[in-house]
Amino acid sequence: MSNATAIFQADGVVKKFGDLRAVHNVTMAIPRGEIYGLVGPSGAGKTTLIRMLSGLAAPTSGSVKLLGSLMPIDRRVVEHRFGYMPQERAVYRDLSIAENLLFFGQIYGMTRSRIAERTRELLSLMKLSDRCKQRADRLSGGEKQRLSLACALLHEPEALLLDEPTIGLDPALRREFWGHFHQLNSAGRTILLSTHYLNEAEWCDRVGLMQHGGLIAAGTPNELKAQAAKHSGQASLDMEEVFLILTQEPVAGGVS
Amino acid sequence: MKLHRISAVTERVLRQIWHDKRVLVFMLMLPAIAMLLFGYSFSGDITDVRIAFIDEDNTDLTESILESLQQDQAFKVTVLETVDDPEQLLLSEHYQAVIRLPDKFTSLYYAHFAMGVATSAQGTIDLTLDESDPQVAATIRMGLADAMMDLGEGGPVDIQARELYGVEVRFIDSFAPAIMGFVVSLISIVLTLLSIVREKVDGTFSRIWVSPVRRAEFILGYVISFGLIALVQSLVVLTIGKTVFDIVINGSIFWAFGCTILFAVGSVGLGTLLSALAQTESQAIIFFPLVILPSVLLSGMMWPVQAIPRLLRPLTYIVPLTYSNRLLRAVMVKGLAPWQEPVGFIGVLVFVVLTIALASVVLRQSAGERE
Ligand SMILES: Nc1ncnc2c1ncn2[C@@H]1O[C@H](COP(=O)(O)OP(=O)(O)O)[C@@H](O)[C@H]1O
Ligand SMILES: [Mg+2]
Repeated sequence: MSNATAIFQADGVVKKFGDLRAVHNVTMAIPRGEIYGLVGPSGAGKTTLIRMLSGLAAPTSGSVKLLGSLMPIDRRVVEHRFGYMPQERAVYRDLSIAENLLFFGQIYGMTRSRIAERTRELLSLMKLSDRCKQRADRLSGGEKQRLSLACALLHEPEALLLDEPTIGLDPALRREFWGHFHQLNSAGRTILLSTHYLNEAEWCDRVGLMQHGGLIAAGTPNELKAQAAKHSGQASLDMEEVFLILTQEPVAGGVS
Repeated sequence: MKLHRISAVTERVLRQIWHDKRVLVFMLMLPAIAMLLFGYSFSGDITDVRIAFIDEDNTDLTESILESLQQDQAFKVTVLETVDDPEQLLLSEHYQAVIRLPDKFTSLYYAHFAMGVATSAQGTIDLTLDESDPQVAATIRMGLADAMMDLGEGGPVDIQARELYGVEVRFIDSFAPAIMGFVVSLISIVLTLLSIVREKVDGTFSRIWVSPVRRAEFILGYVISFGLIALVQSLVVLTIGKTVFDIVINGSIFWAFGCTILFAVGSVGLGTLLSALAQTESQAIIFFPLVILPSVLLSGMMWPVQAIPRLLRPLTYIVPLTYSNRLLRAVMVKGLAPWQEPVGFIGVLVFVVLTIALASVVLRQSAGERE
């Protein structure tokens, strides 16, 4: 793939917090139209990497590009074109579902009628239509997560950064979320998401395995399986086994 | 800078306050309660001081002294025919003062002026005073002096007093501007602080800073919300002040609102600044007494700055409410334009510019180290 068309791109990115290397020498490029999964345990550096891609944090060294713009310096150029779902769910607990969407639509310059239209679409998609006037702090975890996703989708961004969008959901709801992701993807959206559920890696176009801040392996699920099979001599591995094998014998970082 | 983003922030902040009925009630009740509580308990106007008045001279002059005293709201005057032992009377009847005008008081009084200072003859008022409460005693002395001054016209001396600003000013009149500044700044600081700390805790800040919203737009959105709230609170204070306490407002109501809103702007800035020092809501609450106590104690709200020990007085100059009190009192009580009270006006302006500028720096940090 050519870097010129990459939607999300990192080149030798390092992020340090004092002595702690939260992200270490990560290089990757995600072309338009992909669902890319950053997979790794808690503390692996997924959130830190996504925050740098969104322009919220600056890398200590290396460079980060989103839709071809250098982040965070040129973020103004692309701020309308991507949507971000933070790990914390990030909705106003004392506002209703509709009011949350109204605010996040308004700050993107959407008109009230357009926001109302998108709200109807998204809430029926997320099965929240009848809860539209409900305050966010009265929602269940799953409902809150659906609202959070809706907030990121409202302004119809072409690129999506979703930080652990399925965390804490029951398996049925997780499947439903993945249904949304694939639907968005077939509508042309490029998605980078993080997860610590290793089985979700199967549903991505490509996967980057992260551990201790480094990208230890990357490729399609089948490529990763083949790589692990070669290392271990075992066939028909599931993603959990793949992860265990590849993290025991780490491949040098910087795989693209 | 885009208007729709500023108004989006304003609308959101107002909606949040509207939804939290406790905050809404607190916001509207605080000015009302503060006015009523302070207005009644600290009204500073001493009333119903029991005085015994014994007139042994019975002339027009002594009659008018009695009238003056009776008209003074501070006193409850009991007129007695005679008295043997004023001290005994004071003790047994619980008077706070016994005033006796002796026989020939009037003639000696006029004689004194007629013959000039050379004479030793002089009208004497026999005053027996309970000094156990110095404030009450001072009120009696002043009331008596006022009564003598009221003789002025037509009498031997004509004192022409020019009473500046304070013609009819009572404690409550100069207290209303202080309450206005206090309540408005308290609400603006506390609600801004809590609101921004919540944005950090809940992560909504991340959403805002990846969106097209600029820091200046965010601050302006907050400033406009709390400016509007300040206006409503000022109205509550003034309405209660007018209807319950019949306060006197000599100045322009528009300047009063303008200055209050200006002070609210600085308070939003201060709340934003403090939000940088708190990571959680419970940490934020620690700042409340730090904001409230100096404002109440050191701003000249409850007692004049001159009554604060010299050692502490420099501190009064770093309490923003000190300047707001000077400014709002000048505007509301004295009827001046803001710039005619330069210390208060410039003080409040500096407060606004400083806190808003620093708030903007602080928000840059909360927004992550993006630059
Ligand atoms: N602001 C920060 N200050 C200090 N350390 C941080 C900060 N953010 C993250 N870290 C540390 O960086 C590492 C990676 O964290 P994170 O990116 O949140 O991992 P993940 O999202 O994969 O769970 C962790 O050890 C975490 O404690
Ligand atoms: Mg994370």
